[in-house]
Amino acid sequence: MQVYLPIAELSMNLFFLVGIGGAVGFLSGLFGVGGGFLLTPLLIFSGVPASVAVASVTGQVVAASTSGALSYYRRGQIDLHMSLYLVLSGVLGAFGGVATFQVLRAAGQLDLVISLGFLILLGFVGSLMLVESARAIMKRRAGIVVREKLPNQHNWFHGLPWRVRFKKSRLYISVIPVLALGVAIGFVGSLLGIGGGFILVPALVYILRMPGTMVIGTSLLQVVAMMAATTILHAVQSQSVDILLAFCLMVGGTVGAQFGASAGKYLRGEQLRALLAVLVLAVAIRFGVSLVLAPADPYSTAVLGAAGVI
Amino acid sequence: MRRLLLAIALVFAVSPAGAERLVTQVSQDEVSITSSFAGETLTLFGSIEPEVGATQRFVEGPYHVIITVTGPLQNRVARRKTNQFGIWLNTAQADFIGVPSFYQVLSDARLADITNVITLAENKIPLDLQPIATPTAATQEMLAFAPQLVRLMEEKGFYRLNETGVVFRSDTFYYARVSLPADAPPGPYLAHTFLFKNGEIIAEKSEGFSVRKIGFERFLGLAARQQPLLYGIVCVALALFTGWLGGVVFRR
Repeated sequence: MQVYLPIAELSMNLFFLVGIGGAVGFLSGLFGVGGGFLLTPLLIFSGVPASVAVASVTGQVVAASTSGALSYYRRGQIDLHMSLYLVLSGVLGAFGGVATFQVLRAAGQLDLVISLGFLILLGFVGSLMLVESARAIMKRRAGIVVREKLPNQHNWFHGLPWRVRFKKSRLYISVIPVLALGVAIGFVGSLLGIGGGFILVPALVYILRMPGTMVIGTSLLQVVAMMAATTILHAVQSQSVDILLAFCLMVGGTVGAQFGASAGKYLRGEQLRALLAVLVLAVAIRFGVSLVLAPADPYSTAVLGAAGVI
Repeated sequence: MRRLLLAIALVFAVSPAGAERLVTQVSQDEVSITSSFAGETLTLFGSIEPEVGATQRFVEGPYHVIITVTGPLQNRVARRKTNQFGIWLNTAQADFIGVPSFYQVLSDARLADITNVITLAENKIPLDLQPIATPTAATQEMLAFAPQLVRLMEEKGFYRLNETGVVFRSDTFYYARVSLPADAPPGPYLAHTFLFKNGEIIAEKSEGFSVRKIGFERFLGLAARQQPLLYGIVCVALALFTGWLGGVVFRR
């Protein structure tokens, strides 16, 4: 069944959209990530203009992360104090990201930056995760007990000025690394149409030394708030949010995420991380190949400015 | 007085005693884009008749018909990727102002057999003349990119030359089918019919039709453009609600 997308101005198969939403939702429920990093490229490869794909996926990520964030909130596993700092700085970063998005789109380099951004970011995070999880799996095989890093080990930047006490996370650290992290995630997330959960989770664990129980919930709340702000910014600035496209993806994504979350219980943490790493690397390689290989057609064309008449 | 005489002379020059006129019709004057829009086929038909008031009762061919269907104009950019430091990126581009977003040429025979190149060019019929609206203002880049733009538009299915598109059912009655793709740009369309006899244009006729979003699609398109802030907030509210509902429905 074809459905006409009013902002993208093209028809797509409804079942295809709900299907990829569901498949990505399953993976996001399984791995506890937003899934934007998979969905945006999938849409771009299936013919949706990059600007519409990025802007609409932000809406889908909000939906995908909301139910998770709510259940963590009920269990009291969100550090709201930390979230406040992260979200405020994140919105600032998102302003920068959306403005950059506009400049790049006008200059015709948006697709390139999106490809490069995904390649670098996913390649880097994917390799790190793969190495880390492979080590954990080998250690487990060898029978070594893996000792978690202590949460209260401090780095030099924890001692920077403006120290704030985060009661729930039992941290007394400078807000500078927290704000810097928020700005960076907000910028990258709005530029690439990803929630940034897969960057934020390791950053909270390894950089801020947040306790594991708080990490996922806080990161989910951050993703919801950031992506909500980004959706509105994209709607105002580039007017490329396709609500129908986003809704089809949301419906599939929300259902898929529930099944993913139940499937996740049958896999061990490091196995999950290894699988996710392989997935992330595969997407990165796909982008890398498209950048390096000679394109089938070096010429391309696009409509300048806002598209025609309604 | 001289002007009047000139006008009379002109009238006689363009409509000699045995002149023909075209009677044309488009099967529908409005194409609606609904949620299930997957393209549409329109039929253009027409007949060739003696000019009103002419002494002659019937017309004699052979006739040829060329129909051009032009979609709403848009500004387009064409870009070329080159390999820089091992990466393929857009390095050169040309902007085109007022390019038809859709252009089809339909005829009953090869264009070259119907008339000469000059007549075709004067009436801006060939596909490759479409990107450049005013040839005098064309830059080097535009001239270099124009053939590529036409090729890309042909590959996307927006531009097409169909030399068997017009079918004569009798000596004087013809029809033509135009298919609009699913991603046909909304806006005003113009179907211009040229009637040829012995390589000369003897009559012309224009018919317009419009492609527009209706109902919900139109509402969404307008809302996104006119109330972007509200539209964004509604998107977020919808997302939050869907996420919340999913959590409630599937809670174990």
